[in-house]
Amino acid sequence: MEEVKCYLPKTLKEALEIKAKVDVLPLAGGSDLMVSHKRTLGLTPVFEKPVMIIRNLPELKRIYLNEKGECCIGAGCTSAEIAENTLCPWHLRQAASRMGAIGLRNSATIAGNLANASPKGDTPGPLYLLDARVRLSSVRGDREVLVSDFIVKYRTIDLLPDELITQIIVPLSEDDFDYIFWHKVGTRKANAISKITLSQAIRFAPDGKTVEDFRLSATSTGSKTNRSRDVEKLLIGREITDETIESVVEGFDRIISPRAMPEFRREATRRMIRRFLSEAAKKPSSKVIDTYDGYHMTGAPVPRGEENG
Amino acid sequence: MESRICFSLNGKDVSITTDPLRRLIDVLREDFDCKGVKEGCSEGECGACSILLNGKMVTSCIIPVGAADGQQIMTIEGISATEKGKVIIDAFADGGAVQCGFCIPGMVIATYYLLSNNPDPTEDEIRLGLSGNICRCTGYDLIVESVRLAAKRGGELWKK
Repeated sequence: MEEVKCYLPKTLKEALEIKAKVDVLPLAGGSDLMVSHKRTLGLTPVFEKPVMIIRNLPELKRIYLNEKGECCIGAGCTSAEIAENTLCPWHLRQAASRMGAIGLRNSATIAGNLANASPKGDTPGPLYLLDARVRLSSVRGDREVLVSDFIVKYRTIDLLPDELITQIIVPLSEDDFDYIFWHKVGTRKANAISKITLSQAIRFAPDGKTVEDFRLSATSTGSKTNRSRDVEKLLIGREITDETIESVVEGFDRIISPRAMPEFRREATRRMIRRFLSEAAKKPSSKVIDTYDGYHMTGAPVPRGEENG
Repeated sequence: MESRICFSLNGKDVSITTDPLRRLIDVLREDFDCKGVKEGCSEGECGACSILLNGKMVTSCIIPVGAADGQQIMTIEGISATEKGKVIIDAFADGGAVQCGFCIPGMVIATYYLLSNNPDPTEDEIRLGLSGNICRCTGYDLIVESVRLAAKRGGELWKK
């Protein structure tokens, strides 16, 4: 079998120059690509096109808040780095902290998770919820696209041949909401692929009753992550009542299309929406509602920036 | 296509000219004789091939050797020669953690990684720390006990 070329750029500039000339497959953590291209013990994986290893590009490893207070996450940041960094929004940290096994979380990158565009991916749910954007860079310049547009459909992304994902920008965080929810249903506590994961957030108007903002996204419930502004609008501007809860539950049920075990996934989704909204209506003192308690993170959000400056 | 890849392996600078897409596990086992790096699942899930890459635990079966260029690698061979490694290995032996032994190099690496970051873990934290390492013999309880023993015996050592 003919060996493909492999590029080892040392800087982002060098990587973009290679990308401009050759249609290479960028490889960072390897947790998707090395597995999907593996052969058997002792044999080198076979790739259909040249590979460019970008695991250690320093430019892709930064996490910081920009002048607008948006969280900017380097494309090469691993799940573990995101889970540990209190600048990152709570929903995303939850998802990152429950992704695969520990060793894998030290390899798998956020950009890889998006580029893989799997409907079971862990990070798109929170990123859809918080209106996150991806920055795509090339020698021609940069452009930004909403994550929800970047993932076009199942395993398909909006990336031109000369572009590289360089940053994920998350404009919102838990600070923008009164109550937050993230729950992953997996078959095990650790090392689990999502059966269904729901991210939710709500903010009330100053009157304390009218819903000012409500968001809901679900993974593993269709060919891509689901979020519907039309469904969210069924609650925004209204109060939480049994009727408005059911309108959201029914509305969301209509937009999801789980393939395997559809009834289980639909029912779990319905229950988690009801749980979040009915609890939020009671105005509990805890901001976090029904998260996976005590397993990896304590659930209580640490004020942004407190730990890692 | 071959490239020259240089990295630090168990504290020693090494280099190899090879296909950068070869899996790190294969290079470590075949070219550097680190046979303690075991292959279980081949997809980064079972933890048998765990190593420390720049001090962080990773599974070497999903990493191309090109990604190790310029980096620092510690395998079980290096860990077991350290004071901390010896404490873990003795605790595993005394605690009866080992049956067939295949998962143990990875378990020792996971324990080293856990205790280096959290010198006095609770049982839940130990189980979480080992959650990426799969053992098909023992049911984990004796391994968890042995990690506790290593934490106790190591004491201040883990805070260094």
